[in-house]
Amino acid sequence: MDPHAHGEAAEPVNPELQEALRRLRAYPFLQPLSDTVLRKLQPNLVERAYAAGELLLRAGEYSDAAFYLKEGIVEVRFAAAAAGSPAPAAADPAGTDTRARLAAFAQRASVGADGTIIVSDMPVDVSLHKRVLLEPGELFGELNALARYPLSSDVVAKSDVVCLAIRTPALRMLFKQKEVAAFKKQVDERYRARTLGSHLRQVELFGGLGDRAIERLRQTADIVSFEPGALIAEQGAAADAFYLVRGGNVKVMIRAGSTDLAITYLRKGEYAGEIALLMDEPWPFSLQALEYVEIVKIPRAEFQAVVRDHPPVQQRLWDTAVQRLKERGVASRNPLASQYLQMAMDTGLIHGESVLLIDLNTCTRCDDCVRACADTHGGTPRFIREGTRYQQWSVPVACYQCSDPVCLVGCPTGAITRAMGTLEVTIDPQTCIGCRNCVKRCPWGNIVEVPFSSPTLKKNIDLATKCDLCVGRAAGPACVQMCPHGSAVRISFKDMARVTEILSA
Amino acid sequence: MILPPWLQPKRLRWFAGTAIVAAASLAFAGAAAWWRGWSPGDAWGLTFGAAAALLMLMAALYPLRRRWGARPFKTAQDWMQAHVYGSTLAALFVLVHMGFRWPGGRFGFWLLALTLWTTISGLLGVALQKWIPALLARELTVEAIYDRVPELADRLRGEATRTMEGASDVLQRFYDAQVQPALAGLSPSWSYVFEMHSGRARRLAAFEHIQSFVGEADRDRLADLKTLVSEKMELEAHYTLQRLLRIWPLVHVPPAMLLLAAVVAHVASVWYF
Repeated sequence: MDPHAHGEAAEPVNPELQEALRRLRAYPFLQPLSDTVLRKLQPNLVERAYAAGELLLRAGEYSDAAFYLKEGIVEVRFAAAAAGSPAPAAADPAGTDTRARLAAFAQRASVGADGTIIVSDMPVDVSLHKRVLLEPGELFGELNALARYPLSSDVVAKSDVVCLAIRTPALRMLFKQKEVAAFKKQVDERYRARTLGSHLRQVELFGGLGDRAIERLRQTADIVSFEPGALIAEQGAAADAFYLVRGGNVKVMIRAGSTDLAITYLRKGEYAGEIALLMDEPWPFSLQALEYVEIVKIPRAEFQAVVRDHPPVQQRLWDTAVQRLKERGVASRNPLASQYLQMAMDTGLIHGESVLLIDLNTCTRCDDCVRACADTHGGTPRFIREGTRYQQWSVPVACYQCSDPVCLVGCPTGAITRAMGTLEVTIDPQTCIGCRNCVKRCPWGNIVEVPFSSPTLKKNIDLATKCDLCVGRAAGPACVQMCPHGSAVRISFKDMARVTEILSA
Repeated sequence: MILPPWLQPKRLRWFAGTAIVAAASLAFAGAAAWWRGWSPGDAWGLTFGAAAALLMLMAALYPLRRRWGARPFKTAQDWMQAHVYGSTLAALFVLVHMGFRWPGGRFGFWLLALTLWTTISGLLGVALQKWIPALLARELTVEAIYDRVPELADRLRGEATRTMEGASDVLQRFYDAQVQPALAGLSPSWSYVFEMHSGRARRLAAFEHIQSFVGEADRDRLADLKTLVSEKMELEAHYTLQRLLRIWPLVHVPPAMLLLAAVVAHVASVWYF
């Protein structure tokens, strides 16, 4: 029958796509999905095979995919445990450094008497003494992909392995499908069971709460996600819950006449709603998702019960409330602060933990900053003294050292890294293969390529280079130190008070 | 009294410290001259002369700041402050060394002339380095790296050519007569130093005149061309003023080197004789 007879164009049969969909149907959790949905998901679902001994995930790195183990066995090695064993040589060229850094991390981690470490991104507890194995049907790495936390463990193929890499967009889309609600529930429950408790303990407000209280909050918390631009809470509406940001950035704004005035923003680990709940008032501001945002919601009644039962928490809450009201008052009364905040959100600078700014009012364009940068980096500067401009401030093409560095995701050799507890994201020229992955991923175009003769590959490549804050240089970034007019500054957009102070000077 | 920005000291502490040293030196020299007279060759005269020579030497080391990683100071800005205020003090010490008298002999005259030239040209440079950046930031919307200005101007010409594809004859004639010459080459002009928007209104007025003669289809093209010409003029202003900042050291550095050589010769001759 001619399909055109029904006025519809027949969809051309693509044998490769059909085969890909057929293979995806072999995964039990994908079986309930319709062909249409599966077709949309397919570009972000990649089946990967690994030989025994090969490294799937490397501790300390960022990943943009969760892994569903189809065949074979993988071993999860916490860094300190792995430090004692030889690294898989071919797959881990940067392994030694990573392990050394993570050994220090392991010492800071809470390790039980039996040497067990709870890691949030793996479905098992990892032991310093034992090797832990994952079997077919297990999902791992999803929390790192969703909330952009660095991986806490190495994952190595113990036998030949086949797994399905579910990239973040697919993971988010999967969560919206009613047919696979159980899949989201499983992931949320894992988060609730393994990580939420420690996240709650990290919230200053809940510091000192006993295990029972934390357990109570953990059990009643809801995990919800919001698309970019979505209104999370509306000013004037009844405050229904305490909101803890699990991933993404949230804009906090108040209505000023006919416009919304940005007064601050919340990052991963920050919270809102405590004042409204404490004072039994409606939301004093609106919350809006600036990007894909994940929120942990603690219902009003539970939150208030915990506060009632724990006077120290109540006291801290009042102290925080007063402090925040003061800050918000200053922000809402100071149009400049709001203006800078809006600019930071519009331009993406809020992600920056060390953004280079040049005051064009005093900069004589002598390029001493560029020369100093080049002197520090073997003749090739790591930034370009041109870029966007805001009032008299120039924001050059220089890495912002983002709080969530997406450039780190998916580097095939682990050449681009951020050492635990440090600010600078660095690229190892010995390991970079010039694949442009990080260049393409940087949303701000702050990673540039330069011709380079790779001693490892023994050929010429386009090496990815970026500002590394002159790591190892005692006097700090050369661009700032060597500016003869004091025009170059580096600021963190985490501290908006300082940003306002500097920009309005 | 509020000073204009280009006269305001950037680091008040350096300014205040220098002012105190200068005032104390003058007071001391005045008292010493009143009490027992003054000669460049006596102990105090020689002390001020030696101090001036040392400060000049320190100022001459300024280009080495990059090689030395700003040492012995913390930042290059400290180096710059030391260079500016140290040199100014050096000039004052030279005058104190001479007892504020006209130098005897031709060499002394040239020594003084070079000192004054170097100091005044240096202070002029300081003023320019404060005035020009503020002017560029305040008056211009475009920011450009000096070396890339010719390339950016080329790019504007390319954009204009692309904009004109499919344009009407009326607009084409206007483009040939007005826009193309305005976009051709770079015409740095001293007039930008005195008036940043020099000639802009006159040049852009032509766009207003032609507007009623072009069809609806060409209006956007005309607006784009106007923007391109306006950007070109901003680039020219950048080019002119940044060039001024770049050629200013030619007025300052060679005489400063000559001065240093002359000071060395002066010290050697005093030592020898």
